[in-house]
Amino acid sequence: MDFFLHIIVLIGTFLPTILGYNLVFGKGKILHFGPMGVSVITGYCFIVTLKSTGSFSLAILSGLIAVTLISLLFAWLSLRLNQDAFGVMSIAVHLSALAVVLNWNSLTRGALGIPQIPRPEFLSSVADFAIAAIILSIVTVYIVRKIDKSSFGRQLQALAEHEWHAKSLGIDRNRVHVLAFIICGIGIFLSNLIYLPYLTLLHPNDYQFAGMVFYVMIVVAGMPGSVWGATLSTVLLLALREAVRFAPLSASVLGPVRLMLFGFILFVAVYYRRDTLFPKQRSI
Amino acid sequence: MMQLLINGLIAGSLAALIAGGLALVYGVLGVFNMALGQMALITGYCTWWFHQVLHLPLGISVICGLIVGGLVSWFVFEIFVNPFYKRHRFLPLVTTIALSMILDGLILLIFEEQPHAIIPGIKDTFQVMGAWVSSMQILLVLLTVLLMMIMGYVLHSTSFGRKIRAVVQHDQAAMSLGIKAPLLHRYIFIMSGVLAGLGGIYLGIDQSLTPVFAFPITIKAYAAIIAGGKGNIWGAILCAYLIAFLEQFAVGIHWFGLFYIPAGYQQAVALLFIIFFLLFRPNGLFAGRARTA
Repeated sequence: MDFFLHIIVLIGTFLPTILGYNLVFGKGKILHFGPMGVSVITGYCFIVTLKSTGSFSLAILSGLIAVTLISLLFAWLSLRLNQDAFGVMSIAVHLSALAVVLNWNSLTRGALGIPQIPRPEFLSSVADFAIAAIILSIVTVYIVRKIDKSSFGRQLQALAEHEWHAKSLGIDRNRVHVLAFIICGIGIFLSNLIYLPYLTLLHPNDYQFAGMVFYVMIVVAGMPGSVWGATLSTVLLLALREAVRFAPLSASVLGPVRLMLFGFILFVAVYYRRDTLFPKQRSI
Repeated sequence: MMQLLINGLIAGSLAALIAGGLALVYGVLGVFNMALGQMALITGYCTWWFHQVLHLPLGISVICGLIVGGLVSWFVFEIFVNPFYKRHRFLPLVTTIALSMILDGLILLIFEEQPHAIIPGIKDTFQVMGAWVSSMQILLVLLTVLLMMIMGYVLHSTSFGRKIRAVVQHDQAAMSLGIKAPLLHRYIFIMSGVLAGLGGIYLGIDQSLTPVFAFPITIKAYAAIIAGGKGNIWGAILCAYLIAFLEQFAVGIHWFGLFYIPAGYQQAVALLFIIFFLLFRPNGLFAGRARTA
């Protein structure tokens, strides 16, 4: 039963990140590979403030400020650089953030991570976290669906399809892209808000690029831009990832086999989505 | 200071080998190969296997390793790039991310996590103007320079090189003049894989091979080609050296006589510096104007 609840918590905490990322990468077709960088910065800001002050309100405030600033940085980079350069540079920012976390020992404890993260009083058991995760999932899916169907969603899609045409219709690329990055960042922060107290541990290994690849895989497999598709693929792929733990293989074999399995799934997903993942620009 | 220069030259030569080939692929096909680091490591590991397990002489092991690297590149092109890049040039970016995971898994399964040196043991080092350097390092740097010169000659003084440059400048215009661009795409991709493989062998000889090297190799090579300007091979090579020198000097200098930057920030400092430059010159430090007519 606990394992089932654990899966629910994982799905519920992943969904805000995935749906936010789906908006930027799936719908906006922005080559953003920095959500893990956003996650590591906001996660550490949130937890370091929480551990040093003991106040959840202050920690949330610090996390929100951090997520806004880092999202604005990514948005600025995306507006300044061309698509390719932004894709690589977003990875570079992520790696740089990770380097800071791993080396600023006095603040982050480096590779040891930060243990014994306090939990809020109303979230004391796995069942409590599962309920919170379900509520968070429902609210996130509802809000993101609304955003997706709103004029903002259509503007984001128009910019992805043909930027010049969209601009000629009066769509402000700067405003739309900045908002998309901020929404994605808030999703990431909401995930951290539940996930880190649930684990009671903040560890830099959870923020490696492999985690980012998992996000990409979920969005691609679920049909880029589709809220329901991303939700369904989050449920299926997370369940699969956790179920693979029970395969009768030693730990030294299981890790590589899991990497290969997910690489293969990503390739198959791209193969089937090759016409919709990055559609050709319409011509008149 | 001299030691930092020498270290930068050695690290830069490794990065230049990889970035030079990659700049050709990026310039011609416009695609990203995120599995490049893993492809480089596979060539390095195969060379290690030929030399350390089968006990073949080093020269033959290197040639065998490069043949395997070339075959892997060909396979990668046919399966992970060719079916996708004409639909959209960003598709191979995602397929090669998938490939990088598969290759990472394979490397971990076959060679495991522990380091593998192609030539294990203590290197015969000596002093040059106060800096310690090994004869193998000097040989590797000289070989890189020689390779660059050959590449320069092929690109600028042969018919094959002119065809490549024509395809880099305008794919379709080149095809209209009878150049078989799709075939050149294949050759260029394999050539880039072989150059990356040489980088992997270089790494295995100078240091040792571990799976964690793959991702930084790829990212630094891309940072170099983006900073160098799209399709500018020499710009990419220069930026590869620039990044290597930045990495060495960032952590090796006693800044303002007050502090050292910890070694853990080495890569981050160089990458952030490149990002900073790109904010002022988004098309790269040595970007040229593309021909339009």
